Amino acid sequence: MVRLVVLIVIMVNFLTACSVLPKPADDYDPRVSQSTESSRSETTGSNYADAVDDLLRLDEGQHHPAVQVLLTQAEQARQEGNSSQALAYLDQARQIQPRNSAIFYRQAWLNYQLGELQQARQLLQRAQVFLRKSVVNHTLLQHRITALKTKVDARYLD
Amino acid sequence: MRDMSNEKKPPRATKTRTVKKPAAKKAVAKKPVAKKPVSKKAVAKKVVAAKSTRRKVLSWFLRLTVVMAVALSIWLVYLDAQVRSQFDGNKWTLPAKVYARPLSLYPGLLLSSQQLKAELRWNDYKAVTQVVSPGTYGKDGSDWIIYRRAFAFADRNEDAVKIRVSFAAGRIDSVSVNGKPQGLVRIEPQYIGGIFPAHHEDRELIALQDVPPELVAALIAVEDRAYFEHYGISIRGILRAMKANVAAGRTVQGGSTLTQQLVKNFFLTNERSLQRKIKEAFMALLLELHYSKEDILQAYLNEVYLGQAGRRSIHGIALASRFYFAKNVQQLNLSEIALLVGMIKGPSYYNPFRQSDRARARRDIVLSVMEEVRVISSAQRINAQGQAIRVAESGRAGQREYPAFIQLVKRQLQTDYRLQDLQNTGLRIFTTLDPWLQHATEKSIQQHVAKLERQASFKQPTLEAAAVVTSVDGAEVRAIVGSRRVQYFGFNRALDAQRSIGSLAKPAVYLSALASGRYNWASIVDDKPVSVAGQDGSLWQPRNYDRKNYGNVFMVDALAKSLNQATARLGMKVGISRVVDTFERLGVDKSIPPYPSILLGSISMSPFEATQMFQTYASGGFAMKPRAIQALTTSDNQVLTSYALQGRQVYSPELIENLRYGLQQVVVQGTGKRLARAFNTTKIAAKTGTSDDQRDAWFAGFDDRHLAVVWLGRDDNKSMPYTGASGALPIWQAIFQQSGLEPLTPLADLEWSWVNSYGLAVEDNCNGVREMPFMPGYLTNNKLTCRDAMPSTAPQIDGAEQDSKKDNKDNKDNKEGSGSWFDWLF
Repeated sequence: MVRLVVLIVIMVNFLTACSVLPKPADDYDPRVSQSTESSRSETTGSNYADAVDDLLRLDEGQHHPAVQVLLTQAEQARQEGNSSQALAYLDQARQIQPRNSAIFYRQAWLNYQLGELQQARQLLQRAQVFLRKSVVNHTLLQHRITALKTKVDARYLD
Repeated sequence: MRDMSNEKKPPRATKTRTVKKPAAKKAVAKKPVAKKPVSKKAVAKKVVAAKSTRRKVLSWFLRLTVVMAVALSIWLVYLDAQVRSQFDGNKWTLPAKVYARPLSLYPGLLLSSQQLKAELRWNDYKAVTQVVSPGTYGKDGSDWIIYRRAFAFADRNEDAVKIRVSFAAGRIDSVSVNGKPQGLVRIEPQYIGGIFPAHHEDRELIALQDVPPELVAALIAVEDRAYFEHYGISIRGILRAMKANVAAGRTVQGGSTLTQQLVKNFFLTNERSLQRKIKEAFMALLLELHYSKEDILQAYLNEVYLGQAGRRSIHGIALASRFYFAKNVQQLNLSEIALLVGMIKGPSYYNPFRQSDRARARRDIVLSVMEEVRVISSAQRINAQGQAIRVAESGRAGQREYPAFIQLVKRQLQTDYRLQDLQNTGLRIFTTLDPWLQHATEKSIQQHVAKLERQASFKQPTLEAAAVVTSVDGAEVRAIVGSRRVQYFGFNRALDAQRSIGSLAKPAVYLSALASGRYNWASIVDDKPVSVAGQDGSLWQPRNYDRKNYGNVFMVDALAKSLNQATARLGMKVGISRVVDTFERLGVDKSIPPYPSILLGSISMSPFEATQMFQTYASGGFAMKPRAIQALTTSDNQVLTSYALQGRQVYSPELIENLRYGLQQVVVQGTGKRLARAFNTTKIAAKTGTSDDQRDAWFAGFDDRHLAVVWLGRDDNKSMPYTGASGALPIWQAIFQQSGLEPLTPLADLEWSWVNSYGLAVEDNCNGVREMPFMPGYLTNNKLTCRDAMPSTAPQIDGAEQDSKKDNKDNKDNKEGSGSWFDWLF
């Protein structure tokens, strides 16, 4: 009897493990896969308000693996001062997930830094339109989009 | 190498003097002739006279000689300037190279094995059992192994890598390089054509040190054995050729040196005259005077003409080896080297694609010559001669052209760049073309146009077609076809045919109605016959396609069934100026006259312009011009421009989502019903269009990834027995069947409610006849309870009247609308 119970427990464990281990490619379906913004409060020493309002790096957060690669490349290019290359990588990421608000937000963020305000505004419109489906914790991203929009508008109207 | 050229300089310097010698000799030779009269005995007077004549003649000769010498030296100086100016710096105009989008491989990508295989093949990848060199691929169990070539992408250079791709359920499961999993790996983009100057010369440049020594040796052995000894022209060569030609009784051998051949191709025309030959000889001498043997050889290898691909002429051994063998020059084997060298004699006569026997015979001769001059051993010769002539697969990218797409690229670039720079400076243009979708579009058009002609029993090619496919979100042009003859470089119907759009205009009318806030899909519109007096007193009396009158219908059914009478009435009520304004907001770039007939599409547009209009619906409210170019770099890969996503929001996502409901009803119950059966989903937004007398058949529709607009018609603008649904829809369907259809996902949340037969939103279980979407917030004040919805409620013929009473803000607009209402309707 005890043996049987042990066997069943083992079998159940084995089956659960099996059902978890192989990750189906569907998880990575770019049409379904969502981005997760990170608040960074635990990883950086900066104060929480800043972390919520703004991005420090383009490759922050969790994303579809292909998008992650491109965001990392974009961040690297940005740090090397090659902003047009950074924009090119971001646009490649956008083509893989054409309705990912997190990518539009990053494009707008970089365009704002480069003083391309008109472009930043248009990209923020898209970030807003596609927000609800593409990001897991979208309140944080919503907050950031609004904050960036305020900044862009303020400079745009100057 | 430098030393060698220096050594040769002194003899050349003397050569310049010898160039002038013939002129001097002439003058000397004439002297004895002039002396003759002097030798005669004569009277003193006569002697004096003769002396003076002699002097005169002599002085004339001298003058003539001086003049000739001066003229010759001026001519030589002129030739010299010509030679040097053209040979220094950029010798060639390098056409811009155009590339498709790279194929990105990443986990989760939906990719069929047919597509992967086709894209690799079009990109000159060879299927092999052991994948050991770049440019090959193979399968390991169910995994694909692809040895990607090194490539300078627009953003950075990437080395050759061996990629393993595994699939699960039609999607990529993982991608790895050297056992390490990767998030993203790109296959280099397919070369899809060039932007050529008028003479259509295409070439790739190569440095002499990159050319295999066997090839150089073979070239010299076959074309000009004394190359390293002569000074540009070879008397021995001419004599040998003359001897051979006399012996054969016809021209079998040319006496031209490589230098002369280069001069001929480079500076002169093909004209066969003595004058040209003399000029050629002098220029050859001048060229040798200024440049080293190596420079001249390198120029020759890049200049030489080696064949024709459509309008494109293949120049230089680098492009030729890619064109004929799909290889780099360095990868060529002896057999291929010998064939290329042999083909110089007559590229079309020895064309290995079409004349493989002749090509083989010629190759064998070259191989024998190579053995004779000890470039190869006799074992190598025997081995190479034993090989069959193997050329690149026909139909590969090097020979395929995408004329309609290249035309679009050229046009879009010309707003920023001069045509001259595109043709000359070897720019690299990275585009948005998806070769797989392009292939699907071409095939669909070719098959269906032929089929439709058979059905209509047209005896000869009568119908023409064009199509544009873009991505819904970014408006990247993925495919474009400008004619049923897809390889045709002529009139591009996708860009330039201005045709009446018919009912493709209708969504703009319904969008205007929805945007006014006075209508929703449940609004009842009247489908009674319409008659409008035009400015010139003529009557506009549009009829429904089936000549029936449908009476009061839901607004959504008027769109889905494409009712002309109901749409005309609705448009007049909404106000023509509003509809004109909508066209402008959608991105239609032309002035639209405010005539009632525009409501039913008496507007002419190209398929490309129609695509731009539909793009706003497909993108979720962003007006964008379809874009074909991603980035532009110089030949040494400096990014000149990289084109970003543009487009401002012109409609809210809710409004567009609402319009899309109507466009989906076209597929659910209207003129596009056939698609619902074919794809087993109704999540496709589409609209048919048929112009007056069936002169034009249109179909515009999009799924979650792509928007495609298809046009079918006749160049002579006569009618044909097809409508949008019967003529253009099948082509659209075939494109998406080949490329795969992804059902639409909603853009925004609408509110849903049942509506009763009067078009009013009612609570559930209150005689509702259909469930329909409403703009968010609308139902809060406009949903009837069961009691209010009792039949005692007066029937509402038209939503406009009802709403205008409620909403003062809209009153003004409505007056404008109802003002015109009575003017035209009777």
